[in-house]
Amino acid sequence: MKYFIYNENSILITFDSNINSELVYEISSLRIKIEHDFNEYLIDAVQSINSLLIIFKRNKISANNLLNKIKNLNPENTAQKLKSKIWEIPVCYDLTYATDLEEFSKSKKISKNEVVQLHKSKIYDVISMGFLPGFMYLGTTDYRLHCERKLKPSLEVKRGSIGIALNQTCIYPQDSPGGWHIIGVSPLEFFNLKSKSPCFVNPGDKVKFLEISKSKFEILKKNKSLKPNFS
Amino acid sequence: MIKVLDPGLYSTIQDNGRYGYRNIGVPYSGFMDKESATIANKILGNELNECLLEITLIGPTLLFNDNYTLSVTGGDFNPTINNKKIELYKPIDVKLGDILKINQTSNGARCYLAFSGGIASEKYLGSKSSLKNITPSYFLKKGDEIKVLKNNKLNFVVDQKLKLTTSSFLNVFSGPEFSILRKDSIHNLFNKEFTIGINNRMAYNLTEQIQTKTKSIISSPVLPGTVQLTPSGNIIILHRDCQTTGGYSRILQLNEKSMDNLSQLKNGDKIKFKLIK
Repeated sequence: MKYFIYNENSILITFDSNINSELVYEISSLRIKIEHDFNEYLIDAVQSINSLLIIFKRNKISANNLLNKIKNLNPENTAQKLKSKIWEIPVCYDLTYATDLEEFSKSKKISKNEVVQLHKSKIYDVISMGFLPGFMYLGTTDYRLHCERKLKPSLEVKRGSIGIALNQTCIYPQDSPGGWHIIGVSPLEFFNLKSKSPCFVNPGDKVKFLEISKSKFEILKKNKSLKPNFS
Repeated sequence: MIKVLDPGLYSTIQDNGRYGYRNIGVPYSGFMDKESATIANKILGNELNECLLEITLIGPTLLFNDNYTLSVTGGDFNPTINNKKIELYKPIDVKLGDILKINQTSNGARCYLAFSGGIASEKYLGSKSSLKNITPSYFLKKGDEIKVLKNNKLNFVVDQKLKLTTSSFLNVFSGPEFSILRKDSIHNLFNKEFTIGINNRMAYNLTEQIQTKTKSIISSPVLPGTVQLTPSGNIIILHRDCQTTGGYSRILQLNEKSMDNLSQLKNGDKIKFKLIK
């Protein structure tokens, strides 16, 4: 682990490891520990693939003091407490909504059905959120789905769309321009501004995709208070 | 109520910003020039982080349908009431039927218009700051109506004559990827002058390039004030509305005071980076 004083009120912690499930777990454990133990000093703790940025109230503590406190945390204590939630996200892979599935399957020379099977057969880590409020980076996908972003981004990707790019899959929480290949759509609401915790999913959680039919999607889409299951 | 007769170039409602949601991808937003904005509130006896109007380069024209007390701080946009020039950094009483015109800037890029009591506007995730995807409207439009909360009737005339001063020096810390810079790039970075190009509340592009062909980094957290270097050698300084993560090398980080300073500079202005020792 490397510690870096980023500015007057933030500390960056970088982990020397490649992207993998244990790393996501290690970073979210440390984040949750810091959020819990140092709540009085904390403004935000931002988790990404291999780092954690701690933003603190500089009128409450100095960077060096907080850094020492963080270094003295016992990570083993943390790991035992944390059990990641696995969220079940319904996805409709019908071509009406999966606007890039046909082309993607052709370019990868695997059938549409196989793309869907590969996509829904894994449990993904929520690596981080960014780009848009509530936009989830999920990883990692099966190597057969690895790909570059689209050459031409779509100007309007629909809310709830499920994309794939690089070694990751994602969920668009709002209508937005976007460059990921869209292979499905979920009827859930992923970002609720009215709520104090606007996302039901958090970085460090896990996500599993459950295939639903087009007609089921259209019924569920009308149900505004639809809540996902988790285990 | 205040009627927007002309919205100006880009006027937004801002408070101190939206904190506590950065891990789920929500930008901070808030006053670009915190110092000028908080003084506007202070003069009126408002809470320092009370929401107000942030005005960019060309100001709005507003018609008052009630009596208010206001203050204008930051850049000098030559504001007038009923075509008579008003003073900056002072509480000003206005009456029903008065027209405030915030004109073009002759010093600075942003000015702040605060009302005694603050602007009545809905909070989203704990803040009233305008932002696309968060607030339903995110800049002032012709015909908008602005509601003001109760007048404090508490004015504080600031003792000294205040005036916005800007510097061409931006004070910076070295960033996490500073070490990717070659010796000659570091020399250029701290000795050459750079020109501000296209800019907005999210980021400031600089016109001159330095070291090219650096690699992108794995997507990592960034903050307002983070100075990024793109693989093609362009320099981007992130500001208050920036995204929460980015994939370009983070070579420098502005300190808080230089963020305020930068927000008052315009397209074509020159800057120099100065490393904080």
